[in-house]
Amino acid sequence: MEGTGWTRSGREDAFSSLHPLVSFVYFVLITGCSVFVMHPVFLGISCAGGLGYAAVLRGRKGLFSSLWLMVGVFLVSAALNPLFNHQGVTILFYMSTGNPFTLESVIYGLASGAMLVSVLNWFRCYQDVMTSDKFIYLFGKILPAMSLILSMSLRFVSRYKEEIQRISRAQRCIGRDVADGSAGERAKHGMKILSVMTTWALENSVETADSMRGRGYGLRGRTNYSLYRFDGRSKRAFCFIGLTGMVVILSVVFGAVKALYFPALQIAPVSAWSVCACAAYGGLSFFPLVMNILEEIRWRYLRSRI
Amino acid sequence: MALFEIKDLKFVYPGAENPALDGIDVTVEEGEFILVCGRSGCGKTTLLRQLKTVLAPHGERSGEILFSGEPLEGITERRQASEIGYVLQNPNNQIVTDKVWHELAFGLENLGYVPEVIRLRVAEMASFFGIQNWFHKKVEELSGGQKQLLNLASVMAMQPKVLILDEPTAQLDPIAAGEFLDTVRKINRELGTTVIMTEHRLEEVFPLADKVLILEAGRQTYYDTPRRAGKFLAGKELAAALPSAVQIYEQTGGFGECPLTVCEGRSWLSDHFGHCAKEINDTKEPEAGKDVSHRERPGEKETVLEAREIWFRYERELPDVIRDLSLEVKKGEFLCILGGNGTGKSTALSLLAGIRKPWRGRMLLEGKDVRKRKALRSEGPKTVMLPQDPRHLFVRDTVREDLMEMFDGGILSGKGEQRDRVEEMVEIMEIGHLISMHPYDLSGGEQQRAALAKVLLKEPEILLLDEPTKGLDGFYKQKLAETFKLLKERETAIVMVSHDIEFCAAYADRCALFFDGSIVSCGPAEQFFVGNSFYTTAANRMARHLFPSAITVKDVVESCRSNRIQE
Repeated sequence: MEGTGWTRSGREDAFSSLHPLVSFVYFVLITGCSVFVMHPVFLGISCAGGLGYAAVLRGRKGLFSSLWLMVGVFLVSAALNPLFNHQGVTILFYMSTGNPFTLESVIYGLASGAMLVSVLNWFRCYQDVMTSDKFIYLFGKILPAMSLILSMSLRFVSRYKEEIQRISRAQRCIGRDVADGSAGERAKHGMKILSVMTTWALENSVETADSMRGRGYGLRGRTNYSLYRFDGRSKRAFCFIGLTGMVVILSVVFGAVKALYFPALQIAPVSAWSVCACAAYGGLSFFPLVMNILEEIRWRYLRSRI
Repeated sequence: MALFEIKDLKFVYPGAENPALDGIDVTVEEGEFILVCGRSGCGKTTLLRQLKTVLAPHGERSGEILFSGEPLEGITERRQASEIGYVLQNPNNQIVTDKVWHELAFGLENLGYVPEVIRLRVAEMASFFGIQNWFHKKVEELSGGQKQLLNLASVMAMQPKVLILDEPTAQLDPIAAGEFLDTVRKINRELGTTVIMTEHRLEEVFPLADKVLILEAGRQTYYDTPRRAGKFLAGKELAAALPSAVQIYEQTGGFGECPLTVCEGRSWLSDHFGHCAKEINDTKEPEAGKDVSHRERPGEKETVLEAREIWFRYERELPDVIRDLSLEVKKGEFLCILGGNGTGKSTALSLLAGIRKPWRGRMLLEGKDVRKRKALRSEGPKTVMLPQDPRHLFVRDTVREDLMEMFDGGILSGKGEQRDRVEEMVEIMEIGHLISMHPYDLSGGEQQRAALAKVLLKEPEILLLDEPTKGLDGFYKQKLAETFKLLKERETAIVMVSHDIEFCAAYADRCALFFDGSIVSCGPAEQFFVGNSFYTTAANRMARHLFPSAITVKDVVESCRSNRIQE
């Protein structure tokens, strides 16, 4: 099932059922902030939010299978940075190459490790939530001709892949395959499969063109249909995301959550504004997770009343 | 008022000497179901394409086509797009977008409807066709039958007055084809949509039609009800494609009303031959006297290929596709493997071809294990396989070059020798007139013969075929059967996977029923079909209450005749 409220892996997810525009704006905001704001509190929030949502989307198994990758990315980034980055005023010791090993570069390594992990997680969530039809829909809004072209190309890519496999199997039946013979012969067989593929594609596209014209493609005033509706829930979510996003962006612009690592660690002092910014960012990061939790509570409550 | 009026239509392709269509005079009333039949290349598709301006081929046309009383050329493209629905043969090629829901909306988007209207129409069609369960799916996940239903639904969403179908079930298996035809009938009966359709397999369509149009070499030779058309076709080449009931009726003299379906045929047989058959059955053992068959007795021949308790799965985590399959193929026999879709027939064939390897069990070529042969580099009997789509084998620009290409691996060194072999093969396969054409310009049947010629140049001892009769008309099926006979004389073993029960019943030596990854029953063709009640020929289903051992139309006719003589 790849309906609106379901993720790629077939789990139910409240956030996925929002209008694609809401999801898209959300992911742009959250990945942007994760990359550009190096404030430690922000990093921690973003990391936790991304990890939590990825866990909801992919389940415990999916999370654990990629946990090692994330730990690895974090550790490598944290370990490599001080080896190559020698800025910073607090020198811990000198390495055998004569370069200084600084405290600031260690901290910066940890911070960028956290940043990488959170971006990685947000991208995974993006992949699950923004399915191809949502993407096509959004870009069809900007360039109407684009949505059909995208949809057709997706169809062609999967068809060609399948067809190449069939041709290669058919050629194997008569002893012609990429896996047969010497390197030269193999290359020749591979080229043959590609040439069969090209002829086949041209031949079949004639019929596809007929089917398109037969159904009136090329008439004036083509419209674009989609399954999505900007419902009340999406509107409310959009407002919330817009509001919290605004607070975060403003506080970033005015330096309330500024963090400098070099030459010395300099983090903006705690103020009412920075607390506000962190709260807003927390709301933003944990929004999909909280949505799912609230939905779960509502279900439990409804079930308990039956 | 008539929906289509075709008056003295003549059409000549540019550069062609003979007209592709000539003297077509047809009136199609609203709500009728018209079946157009004729041999491949007789102009069926050309005629259907004339009925929609954007699809009409270039050429010289005379005569007139009126749609709802107006000349077709005068009707706007927009109106034609919506009112004249057209479904083509290949389910895959017609689908434009990647999602089912998008495909359903495609035509309506082109016509410029607002989203609210599209939403309603799409919902209506999805419900009518039972698509709601796979509405959100990607197109590539659908089966062939589902794809063709989707093509039909996306045309129907535009609410056409007439539905034109060009061999829509040629690429489908019998179950999917039956479902598709049921839907077409439902559209015709319940929505009153006019249907104009061409088809090779007449068994199921013939009874549905209100009128049958028969074309021969571009000329209209007959246009009337199916019962009368059956009479007209009796004794002609096309008669072999008619439903079994009609064939039996015609060949036994044609008493009373012509039956069209198996059910009608059963009661017709009972009425006319019931009494005498009863006497026969009382006096004679039903199975006795049945060994007059033309078939090989494969028991005494030696085994060329054997599968011994093989198991196969595509990936470690996936379930087994082939389970505990054992099969022996004898020298020079023709073995047919029948069975439903997705039971693993095609996979079994690729295992026999050696393209895939079983993970348990052994494959033996002439009694020696394939793996041991490989280690010893001892060549076993040569195995080749003809793929389902013959176009996958063509790599050159002409048929001749393509056949010569077969020697590229160096089986024969001398150029002259190669040419002689090709000439010989061309003669055997009767493709001399096609030899300098591009393989893609041939018709489906011709392509298959050319592909068969190509694989046979390898001089195989075992020939494997995956549904070779799919989409072939009666003429080319006949030709294929003749080729098989020739190969059998040369001691070539033929293993064919098929849905075509009639073909297997008529020509196979042995038949096997494949189910759930293995063969559940296997035996000489006549015994095999006599034991089945569903997986058997229409002729057998029709006559089994009187002549239980008659399988083909020929058998039934002979039984009827001999009974009449005794009478």
